[in-house]
Amino acid sequence: MLDRSNSRRLTRSLVLVNDSPRSSSDTALSSTESGDCVIEAENLTKVYGGGTRALDNVSLRVPPGTIGLLGPNGAGKSTFIKCLLNLEPPTSGRARVLGRDIRTSNRESREKVGYSPEQDSHIPGMAGCEYVTYCGQLSGLSFKQARQRAHEILDLVGMGQERYRKIDTYSTGMKQRAKLAQALVHDPEIVFLDEPTNGLDPAGREYFLRLIGSLHRQLGISVVISSHLLNDIERICDRVIIIANGRVLEHDSLENLKNRHRRIVEVAPSGEAERFAAALLEAGYVFERRSNGRLRIESPEDSVEWLLELMRKHRLPPGEIVANPNALHELFLRALATDHGNRA
Amino acid sequence: METALDLSRCREPLRGVVYRRWVIASTGLRQLFRGRFFVILLIVAWTTSLVMAAGGFVFSQTVVTGGWLEEGAKSLGVRAEALASAIGALVLLYPDICVRGLFMWMFWVQSYVGLGLSLIALTVLVPRLVARDRAGNALIIYLSRPLTSLDYLLGKLGTVAGLLVLLWTGPLLLGWLLSMLFAPNSDFFVYSLEPLLRALMFNGICLVVLATVALGVSALTRSSRTTIVLWMFLWIFMWGLGNGHRAPDWLRHSSLMLNISEVRASTLRLDAVFVDAAEKLPLIDQRVVENLRRSGEETSAKNLPGAVQALAGFVVLSSVVFLRKLRPE
Repeated sequence: MLDRSNSRRLTRSLVLVNDSPRSSSDTALSSTESGDCVIEAENLTKVYGGGTRALDNVSLRVPPGTIGLLGPNGAGKSTFIKCLLNLEPPTSGRARVLGRDIRTSNRESREKVGYSPEQDSHIPGMAGCEYVTYCGQLSGLSFKQARQRAHEILDLVGMGQERYRKIDTYSTGMKQRAKLAQALVHDPEIVFLDEPTNGLDPAGREYFLRLIGSLHRQLGISVVISSHLLNDIERICDRVIIIANGRVLEHDSLENLKNRHRRIVEVAPSGEAERFAAALLEAGYVFERRSNGRLRIESPEDSVEWLLELMRKHRLPPGEIVANPNALHELFLRALATDHGNRA
Repeated sequence: METALDLSRCREPLRGVVYRRWVIASTGLRQLFRGRFFVILLIVAWTTSLVMAAGGFVFSQTVVTGGWLEEGAKSLGVRAEALASAIGALVLLYPDICVRGLFMWMFWVQSYVGLGLSLIALTVLVPRLVARDRAGNALIIYLSRPLTSLDYLLGKLGTVAGLLVLLWTGPLLLGWLLSMLFAPNSDFFVYSLEPLLRALMFNGICLVVLATVALGVSALTRSSRTTIVLWMFLWIFMWGLGNGHRAPDWLRHSSLMLNISEVRASTLRLDAVFVDAAEKLPLIDQRVVENLRRSGEETSAKNLPGAVQALAGFVVLSSVVFLRKLRPE
């Protein structure tokens, strides 16, 4: 009988196509049992010299999936990732990655982990494919296997003949691709990506987002992605962690977070905006006019049935309706404001 | 846009930490020997082993009974024949001095060639050890994998050790082995063992010192140019300062080269060979005896404890620098 990880390796293959809605049924098997956590942190604290608390008693349990790590500059996102990888030894607290304690199983805790750091990180003098092969070998792959995988992964990240050029000569976008390739070459079960779309052109960014979004859905590789770009996170992640001042402010699935968010509907009337506003006023709904002509309405329920009913009743012309626009953005700002208030 | 990835090949279990350290060491060496310069150094180094072997061969074939010397002397007359027989007899009666002396001298010379080549090679290698990894933020790539800073250190030490083995230890062993292949009797094997072990000991000491200092210097700065300048300063400039006639002891011991020379003198003990030759060989000419004694004095170590302490200081200091700087930035 094949064990789970073997069956995953034997059967899985990734085809990058257009984004499709996520469902639990198409989620590939992970070697960690469903319901297990890929990351567990318990009172994880990191204090730098000078007393700066980069992480302040962070405790959380993160299930497999595509996890967005959000926070303003200096919030502690990168420190959190580095502590989990033991690149920065935590001052106190415990953490487990893929069930392995980062302190007691230092090396083993990183065996099935990939990391793409924020800054340029490469080994000078090596060509792209040589670099990725070398990284595979450093993770324990034989040369033959590492070279084979390097070429496959470089194909996957969209790198063509440039792979034979020295990595020192790469553009920022190419370096990002090489960084992602080295993070994936050894078939990890979880990858940490720190600002992976920085420096990519729009086409490259689009490609990258689709690729990162597919990693868990199709290969079962959990992804922790740290980014400032809320739209990117909202698009590909199924779970979000918001960090500020070294503390976790929010941690939940994106769906739950959006549900907890104040329900907002934005309407862009195709005409007769004044009549639209009058009808809303008459029905007693709270709304505001936006500079682009849209009406931003506080919705009494999750669905927009009430709005369609109102439009039908008042014979209003059809318009574009967007439910929960910029929900993550608002949620993010609200979490920061709450934290700021609490601290004050 | 459609890209397919078949991940079905990743079935082998991951290899252990020894393999990963070996990968760091061997990749460093492979990168190094891509350049023509290092290939030339290799050729020079291994040529010395052939020269050593040839030297041993010529010596053994010359002095052995019925050898070239005896045969050649026959044609020069009775006097020359008697002299040749006397030399042959000396080797036969005093193999501990003659054979040991020959090999000690060969290994002494080879230690200069090996050390010189290693220093030249390290001048080019030093920036590639840690400085360039630091400049390219590569440490984070190493340490985010199942590797610790100790694994990285051992891998890099392996690169330096591999270089020294290829340029110094390898030629030394091959030279000795080839000499033994053509040796006329077992005396050559028995009495060349001690010089060989002494040469290997000196080689080992240098390997530790050179590798640690090279890693320390390489970790000191991110700039390749600065690293090379520091390395040359440490070896050449400090040697120049310490070698002055009026240089005080502390200045002499601040020179790695002079300290290593002291260690060479006390490890290879060429002085003991000269003194033994002067005292034990039945030499009639007293000028030869005096010359041997003087050579013995000149080649003896002057202040070994000071040199050892200084080298230990260099090793500790370099290790501290290396370990302090070995953090992802």
